[in-house]
Amino acid sequence: MDAYLGERLVSKNLKDGLKVFVVPKMDYNKVFAMYSTHYGSVDNEFVVPDTGEQIKVPEGIAHFLEHKMFDMEYGNVFDKFSELGASTNAFTSYNYTTYLFSSTSKFEENLKLLLEFVETPYFTKESVEKERGIIAQELEMYEDEPDWQLLLNLLKCLYHKHPVRIDIGGTLESIQKIDVDTLYKCYNTFYHPSNMVLFVSGCIQPETVFEIVEKSRQAKASPLKAEIKRIYPDEPPTIYKPSHTTYLDTAEPLFLMGFKDIDVGYDGRPLLKKEIATDILLEILLGRSSKSYEKLYEEGLIDDRFSFNYEGQKDYGFCTIGGETPDPERLHKELEQIISDSLSKGISSDDFERVKKKHIGEFIQGFNSLEFISSAFVAYHHKNVNIFDYLNILEEISFEDVTKRLNTFFNLSRHAVSVVMLKESMK
Amino acid sequence: MGNLFKQKALENNINIHIYHTSKFKTINFYLFVHQELKKEIATKTALLPFVLKRGSQNFPTQRSMNLFLENLYGTSTDSDILKRGEVHVLEFYMEIPNPKFIGEENLIEEGLKVFQDVVQNPLTENGSFKKEYVDQEKEILKRNIESLYNDKFNYVIERCIQEMCEGEPFSIYKYGSVEDLQTIDSNNLYSYYNECITTCPMDLFILGDIDENKIEKLIKEMFFIQRKDIKKINTEFSEKIVEKPKYVEEKQDVNQGKLALGFRTNTKYGNSDYYALAVYNSILGGGPYSKLFQNVREKESLAYYAFSKLEKNKGLMLISSGIEFSKKDKALDIIGKQVEDMEKGNISAYEFDSAVKSLVNAFKEAADSPSAIIQSRLDGIINGVDETTDEIVDKLQKVTKDDVVNVAQKIKLDTIFFLNKID
Repeated sequence: MDAYLGERLVSKNLKDGLKVFVVPKMDYNKVFAMYSTHYGSVDNEFVVPDTGEQIKVPEGIAHFLEHKMFDMEYGNVFDKFSELGASTNAFTSYNYTTYLFSSTSKFEENLKLLLEFVETPYFTKESVEKERGIIAQELEMYEDEPDWQLLLNLLKCLYHKHPVRIDIGGTLESIQKIDVDTLYKCYNTFYHPSNMVLFVSGCIQPETVFEIVEKSRQAKASPLKAEIKRIYPDEPPTIYKPSHTTYLDTAEPLFLMGFKDIDVGYDGRPLLKKEIATDILLEILLGRSSKSYEKLYEEGLIDDRFSFNYEGQKDYGFCTIGGETPDPERLHKELEQIISDSLSKGISSDDFERVKKKHIGEFIQGFNSLEFISSAFVAYHHKNVNIFDYLNILEEISFEDVTKRLNTFFNLSRHAVSVVMLKESMK
Repeated sequence: MGNLFKQKALENNINIHIYHTSKFKTINFYLFVHQELKKEIATKTALLPFVLKRGSQNFPTQRSMNLFLENLYGTSTDSDILKRGEVHVLEFYMEIPNPKFIGEENLIEEGLKVFQDVVQNPLTENGSFKKEYVDQEKEILKRNIESLYNDKFNYVIERCIQEMCEGEPFSIYKYGSVEDLQTIDSNNLYSYYNECITTCPMDLFILGDIDENKIEKLIKEMFFIQRKDIKKINTEFSEKIVEKPKYVEEKQDVNQGKLALGFRTNTKYGNSDYYALAVYNSILGGGPYSKLFQNVREKESLAYYAFSKLEKNKGLMLISSGIEFSKKDKALDIIGKQVEDMEKGNISAYEFDSAVKSLVNAFKEAADSPSAIIQSRLDGIINGVDETTDEIVDKLQKVTKDDVVNVAQKIKLDTIFFLNKID
């Protein structure tokens, strides 16, 4: 099997610490580029490198900063991308912030523009003030999205202190405290080249990318190497509380179950290996080919919106299982039963081999999409893994690895549930 | 003229479209069954793909089907329902990893065993669908229809369309209605299935790194169902004269107000001024360069989102925006002003050029995705249009500001829908 699926990954490390990766796909019309910093909403407390000052910043500032990066002294950078016929966007997650463009022409100009705007902070009092209104609307919008509320409440149950329990965008109160000075402090700390990665794929040659990036750096003085010190609170291994129920104006109840991973504190290949083992495990227990899925479906407790996911980061990890259900309480009991049965009976090696094949095929399918390749590469780069190693690591995983993971991860004392119920049932 | 696909009609009137390309890592199969969008049958049409994927003669349960497909390296299959103007389309799809990356030759043949069985060989008992499956899928479809209420973003758009197109087939939700679900049982659904499968137009797409002759032979062998007297699906629409826009307000317990404005464009895909309309929509609300984004969001900070989009098969345009409740009138004023500016031709060179470039970019990007290539060809078939990406780009680049102003005169506001909070 060709592990690289006929694709070429070319990389270059620059003097100032920036890492650049290119996957040329010359038969595509498009170039898709992501410029990403290892800085997300959980990085709320840190040491400012120049002064040594330890600060705690308002919740939601990474996301606020992302919005403000599109401002330049000459105006809005959206306009420039539009003139170049490209589309641009950005998103902030718990752990990183990514800026991107997608374009089918003028690749070089677009790439220069991406580098330029992410490397040029320009914040004014007026523009920060104006952004508060827009972000407040965004936060309100999410308050009307039951799925998002469901996840936020689950994380609030699983974690005592870790900032993953706070909404990425912060709160209506916390964004009031964001000012120009703090935005610059965050920018100068986390938008350092050594904390960033540039990933370009599509209809462009690696040499062209490297040339543009290197030229863009000659213009400025090389920044000093800065060690970033992030401070996270000590998180106990227990869950904060077992359940949370919210009453919203929805059509049907929503249910989400989560398990807290306490096997944390490392990244790199071992982290990816743990993630894949957990994915395989979840698939064996609750996937479309499992007896449990069939039973829950036939009992009308779930439908094909039922899903599960494992999220693994260096400092925390959790899985989520759930979806729409007419009876959250019964679904909860059934899922607890499925987990404890599998703990006592174990899993079958036939299931393991089959699910492994499924994962190989799905990864190959993903390679049709530049968005998939780029997002996966960048997300894993920040976890110190090269996603091109995925198939090799998948091969390495043994039945014993997955069995071991079953017994360590699925501990019912470390699970919590979040439920959204219909508002009228409150009455 | 000419699209990327080689087209052929099988003896049983299934049209096959084959595109050989080594660009992608997978082999893609899409089967579309075209049906009229009509209240009497819409809910049955919507229920069919969900019942069919529950089980077939050779794979009687979903689990047996999934066990088989997972062994084929995660070959994935699914079915859904689409609404393209007033055509209701059943969609069945399968994606198989290219065998050359796996080293297993027979993946395609094995995968197609499931694909064809789901479509033409459903599980039956006593001469009808399995009752249990129909009952379960009715319940799930009911919940699915009701869950639109949770998705306020799409809810306001759908409600606006319902109000605007009251009495027209287009007001029918693609998943049908809870009321009509009650009249469906395993018997009448099975008769309906037989009618659909034998008389509705069918298009089967195959895209990927395949041997064309081999795949054609395989398809002929596998899709053996007898079909004749294929009906013609009408895709014409009648123009509606709007006398006075309708205003509808609904109250729910929500944190954000949402507006949807429905317009009649009186131009659809296939008309000579369609690409002028596409540019019109792009300038008005198609991206960050657009009038709505710049004026509603950026200048006035009134909303997190404000955009417009076309329903190209029916000749409609929808504007939608999430706003503070108290700012509804101000938002409507500003939106109205943007539409007026379009009619008057108050369009800057920046807005015009960005809009054209953004559309060109989107059409070229679509050629990098198997599903986008196929979906766009499906739109072509429905509207009788046959064009390549290069031809589309050429037409877009020839659109002038005058063309846009001309098309603007045909666009009429029909309905305003506002989702308000409970007092």
